[in-house]
Amino acid sequence: MIATIFSHQVLALRRQRVLLVLLGAMLLSTALAGALGWSSQRTIIRVFDEATRQLAATGAPAPPNPFLLKPHLSLLSNMVVYIPLVGALFAVILGHLTIADEESAGLGRLLFARSMSRAQYTAGKILSLAAVLAGLLVASLLVSLAALLLVNHGISAGELGRLTLFYALSWAYLVPFALIGMITVLLTTSRSLALLTGMGAWLVITFAVPQFTSGLRPTQSLNPIIEPIGLSQAFFQATAKAQPLSVVEQYKAASGVILDTTPHEALTDTLLRILPLLGFAAILLVAAFALVRTHDFSRSASHE
Amino acid sequence: MSNARHVLSLARHEYRAALRSRILVVLLVILVIVTAASVYIATAGYASKLADYDAYRAAAQASGLDRIAPSPLAPLSLLRGGLEYLEIIGAVIAIALGYLSISRERANRTLALLQSRPVTAGDRALGSFLGALAVFATLVTATALVGVLSIGLIAHDWISPSEGFQLLLAYLAALLYLGAFYCLGAIATARARSSANGLVVALGIWLLVVLVLPQIGDTLDADNQLPGGLFQALTLDRDGETSVMAHFTGYEKTRTLIEDTSFAKHFERFAFAMTDVKDRYRPFTLGQLLRETRTDIIWLLSATVALFLGLRRTYKHTPSTGGTS
Repeated sequence: MIATIFSHQVLALRRQRVLLVLLGAMLLSTALAGALGWSSQRTIIRVFDEATRQLAATGAPAPPNPFLLKPHLSLLSNMVVYIPLVGALFAVILGHLTIADEESAGLGRLLFARSMSRAQYTAGKILSLAAVLAGLLVASLLVSLAALLLVNHGISAGELGRLTLFYALSWAYLVPFALIGMITVLLTTSRSLALLTGMGAWLVITFAVPQFTSGLRPTQSLNPIIEPIGLSQAFFQATAKAQPLSVVEQYKAASGVILDTTPHEALTDTLLRILPLLGFAAILLVAAFALVRTHDFSRSASHE
Repeated sequence: MSNARHVLSLARHEYRAALRSRILVVLLVILVIVTAASVYIATAGYASKLADYDAYRAAAQASGLDRIAPSPLAPLSLLRGGLEYLEIIGAVIAIALGYLSISRERANRTLALLQSRPVTAGDRALGSFLGALAVFATLVTATALVGVLSIGLIAHDWISPSEGFQLLLAYLAALLYLGAFYCLGAIATARARSSANGLVVALGIWLLVVLVLPQIGDTLDADNQLPGGLFQALTLDRDGETSVMAHFTGYEKTRTLIEDTSFAKHFERFAFAMTDVKDRYRPFTLGQLLRETRTDIIWLLSATVALFLGLRRTYKHTPSTGGTS
């Protein structure tokens, strides 16, 4: 029965134009990240050449080669920003559609007339969401790979491993947002309220929490290279303790380590960054199962 | 009933309905809390810097110095976080309000009723737009009050009347900005067969205009290519940087052009200029500031007017039975 729900849901999402839009946006974001990385690389070469020429004219020694500071996978550093921005928002919408469409169509009443437990229904729904997100990310990985091969003229086995690991972490980051989209439909009485509540949660996690724990202004969160901020204020000394729970910051930090675009850290430290994310996903998973068990599927949420 | 009374009635209806929406109230509360927190965070170190400057000034006056260095502090710049939240979360609230305005009429099936009354599409567009502006004015006033009181009470620096006027202009620009996103949310929802799809389209445009396009502009900044700055890595000082960048005028123009396509960036530039966020604007008089930001003012006005006209046109062509909620 889980397989039936799974395949029905994947088919339903495939039939929706929204999924095509999400896939297009995801691939576009990845291509954009690659193009920006390429542009960044070209700018550094041109600025370095010009600086060397000007310094040589004044008799000054050549500046250090900035590429020694620029790792190969930094070409994709914008993806670390786009996954929490574009990917997470779309994951909320996907999760929302998974339950809301069925409620709007009144299918909820019919489904449980069949010999199917609510746990099977939830498992099928969550697995289909996880599979669709994995499909989106695999497509994005392929575009990233093409961008790296085009710009860097090759990729080592180690870099390929790092890239795969980054996308696996991104998948683990997006699944909780899809669960948020599902849960908000189960918690609210109207479709619009559910979607906007899910978006409110995304805004708080992505922009508000990092400001409280790290003093990052909203627009600073958009830049892949973040300058360290002084956290000497008494306020931050208290709130910084909650920094490990800021999943977006932990995701970005762990991604930076995996892609080798930020200073190296011990493996245990990186794993400790990922743990809160897994804990967050586990809590949402339990909540989704519990809410589906008690949800009244006889009502329709087609009203606003 | 005259046209003006129709418009006012519709505006009142929009305002009351918005305040009744629970999600809107939740989003407003989130915005006010994060604004207060951002101002608190920015002001925490400010009070001690101000005390240092006051001590320096008192000492300089006591020793009979003629020329006393002006204060390097700008209290209005402490509102930067709050303005950024208006730019990001405020725009989402505006889209949500536009979406709710249309989907409510669809769900309650009041569209046909409204069209049976002697109310033109222009009246409806203007009425709902003014009602939405009244909601945004309430929201902006709340965040402005929180900001100004935080500066006074935490940073111990009350803003002057001229600074207050500049702040007023920044918040007026915020009203135009939010009004434009309200129109976008309403147009996208009214034109979509399903309201939820319309909301997704409007949010996609928001993502592009507010988050992606400005981010591209920042990312392409030559100095942002390496942590700590590319020019620092190349051991170049400010003069060296200017000299090198003189060979990249085409690149800089492209970068500026990408940023210019973002309506949100124009609001940000204007608001930051009015609130002394950028150092280079601080010595400017109000007249100079307005001259410097005239392109941003034109963008803000023309985008809002264009979207309002789009809303009017949408109302004119929306069938009373169209769409599903």
